[in-house]
Amino acid sequence: MTSDCHEHQHCLEMFEKLSEYIDGELDHATCDEIEKHAKNCVACFSCMETLKRTVALCRKVEDQPIPREFSKKLKEIIQNLPKPTSP
Amino acid sequence: MTAEKNQNRKIAKDSDFDLIQAINSGQADKFHDLVKRYEQKLYNFSLRMCRNPSDAEDMVQDTFLNVFKYLKNFRYETKFKNWLYKVAASTCIKKRRKSKFAPDKELSLDEFLPNDEAEKPDNVPEWAMLPLDKLLNEELSGVINKTILELPKKYRVVIVLRDIEGFSTAETAQILNLSPSNVKVRLHRARLYLRDKLKGYFENDQ
Repeated sequence: MTSDCHEHQHCLEMFEKLSEYIDGELDHATCDEIEKHAKNCVACFSCMETLKRTVALCRKVEDQPIPREFSKKLKEIIQNLPKPTSP
Repeated sequence: MTAEKNQNRKIAKDSDFDLIQAINSGQADKFHDLVKRYEQKLYNFSLRMCRNPSDAEDMVQDTFLNVFKYLKNFRYETKFKNWLYKVAASTCIKKRRKSKFAPDKELSLDEFLPNDEAEKPDNVPEWAMLPLDKLLNEELSGVINKTILELPKKYRVVIVLRDIEGFSTAETAQILNLSPSNVKVRLHRARLYLRDKLKGYFENDQ
């Protein structure tokens, strides 16, 4: 096995586990392996950082306000509902 | 034995517990407080699940009507918020079955594999290194929302619940009646899809 081939296999394994790594869902040994590999592979390190950033951006995206008219309509519907009965 | 089992039943006492107790003990008018508490979140979840505001409004309305109908049966085995999203997700799935949409496209991991030598970067792109606040603006938020809407629904619902609504893998699995490993697979593919689109957006920008 050439060193290139060995690296590629590591890259694929890491690629599959990146989300679990970002979410802290992997065991210590696997995390260590990923970190060790990422230190020596710019492509994988870049992939990891851009994926991390993608997740961070998603978490920061702001909500839209609910349209006032719809909120009002919802309130009216709720007010006109019959009282619930026991199951 | 049954009494012991009932005593040991874990109750998810959350910040909605008292309000739900009040509603279920006859103060039905307090249901509006529950709606007020969640209408904004649920509207945004629905907007991300449906492709237009009118369908999103229908989804919010149907979800609250279902919650009102079944709240008496809620046993606090999970947080109320998780149950609410379970009702919302199921309302959305039922709506979709009635529509004429084509079945969800599968996203394969191979689609997102970095192309070997041709695309190997020399370093990490700037957009992954800049402070988040400097990066996120209205335009980028729009790109993210638009890309999420492009995702097939089974991937979209997972990324929305996990990365936007902030539910854990276990909670998302429970809400969607999926296995945790299935949630992880869908989430990873959805994130990779979004990452590819963001990469394209920033590369074209430079």
